[in-house]
Amino acid sequence: MAMLDITNLSKLFGDLEVLKDINLSVKKGEVVVIIGPSGSGKSTLLRCINLLEQPTGGEIYYQDEDITKLGKYVTDYRKHVGMVFQRFNLFPLKTVLGNVMYAPMKLNKVQKPEAQKLAMDLLTKVGLESKAFSYPSSLSGGQQQRVAIARALAMQPDMLLFDEPTSALDPELVGDVLEVMKKLAGEGMTMVVVTHEMGFAKEVADRVIFMDGGYVVETGTPAEIFSNPKNERTRAFLTRVL
Amino acid sequence: MEFHFAKAFKTLGPSLLDGIGIVVFITLIGFLCSLIVALLLAIGRLSKKKPVTVTLSLFIELIRGTPLLVQFFYIYYVVPMLINGIALSFGHQTNVRLSAVTCGIIGFAINYGCYMSEVIRAAILSIDPGQREAGLALGFSEKQVMFRFIIPPALRNSVPVFGNYLVMMIKDTSLLAMITVEELLLRTKTYASQTFLTVEAFTILALVYLVISIPLSQLSKVVERKLKQGR
Repeated sequence: MAMLDITNLSKLFGDLEVLKDINLSVKKGEVVVIIGPSGSGKSTLLRCINLLEQPTGGEIYYQDEDITKLGKYVTDYRKHVGMVFQRFNLFPLKTVLGNVMYAPMKLNKVQKPEAQKLAMDLLTKVGLESKAFSYPSSLSGGQQQRVAIARALAMQPDMLLFDEPTSALDPELVGDVLEVMKKLAGEGMTMVVVTHEMGFAKEVADRVIFMDGGYVVETGTPAEIFSNPKNERTRAFLTRVL
Repeated sequence: MEFHFAKAFKTLGPSLLDGIGIVVFITLIGFLCSLIVALLLAIGRLSKKKPVTVTLSLFIELIRGTPLLVQFFYIYYVVPMLINGIALSFGHQTNVRLSAVTCGIIGFAINYGCYMSEVIRAAILSIDPGQREAGLALGFSEKQVMFRFIIPPALRNSVPVFGNYLVMMIKDTSLLAMITVEELLLRTKTYASQTFLTVEAFTILALVYLVISIPLSQLSKVVERKLKQGR
């Protein structure tokens, strides 16, 4: 059964049509990687999935409920769907631990000691338990991004969205973040990842989606997309990036 | 020309000390009120409802376009007359009067509130939009995001500017002499006209203002440095 089902999704910014008739479904435990050139609409698609952008047309079903019609109850939906941003967006006035434990405490009414323990466990998972009491500004980009992943996990989401999580990182820091993401994928987390890391896509994705000009141009397993792309545009893109 | 600073200091000093009490009282209450007004105005001006933002911008322009002294006069003399006049036209005999100190606090709250609301608004707008998105993505509502993740850092970033306004407000309390508040200037003026120690009295007055405002502006610099070190 599909966890997420997107049908005929479109998005306009003014007159500019950024997403055109997108159909996509994500099964529980599946890792879907979206690739494509800049401006192809990948990030917008991801932001539509948790309604940071309101779609112009179409439906997004999450566990058989159309989330585009939730109104103010969208906050309940978002608790089940974590998001990791390109620029980390950690809360600068809170410690690393504070960043991770804040949302469960305030939104899920988890008691402080329990939230603290949960946060510490997650920080251990991303390898940053020693930084629990540091502030985000004293961390490297890679460390900040791993904290951001821990923060998203703290809400115990059913699905995680990654919006180019390694694009703002120095090359030598990319590996640590990808390691954490691989671990999550291995544990069966449902993930939708927008990335330029073709290695990650090849190794971890169950399905790769190539987008261009607001359309889903091609969908397939990593083997199909990378070794034997059917569409001319996919082929052209892959020759440029690989 | 002969000066009698020692004498002036001995006789004017105790009176000025009482005046300082009034100045500090008005400034503290006035500043707190102006912070609240500023925050409300700033949030209101960021509203998506056009009538709200237009009304508030007009109000802010009105206040910023007229002198603080004129506003004090208006609140002290005109507003009670207007209230009594309007009440009378509805057949009620009223005698509303506001004490000069109350008028001073109201005037400061409104005037400084308008200026500082622009500071807070700019600070709110300068917070990275990613903070809002991160809060929303975790499941917080727009309102929660505003009060938990946007306003606290915005206020923090505004603290150095608030410090300047606080020092300005202390000096502006001298305007209250014109609406009969017995603050420092009025006491000095009265003293000078009684003793003719004009030079001594006003020199001492200026020094007293310096003694209050220099430590305060130094303090605000220290706070600013501490906040910078913080994160």
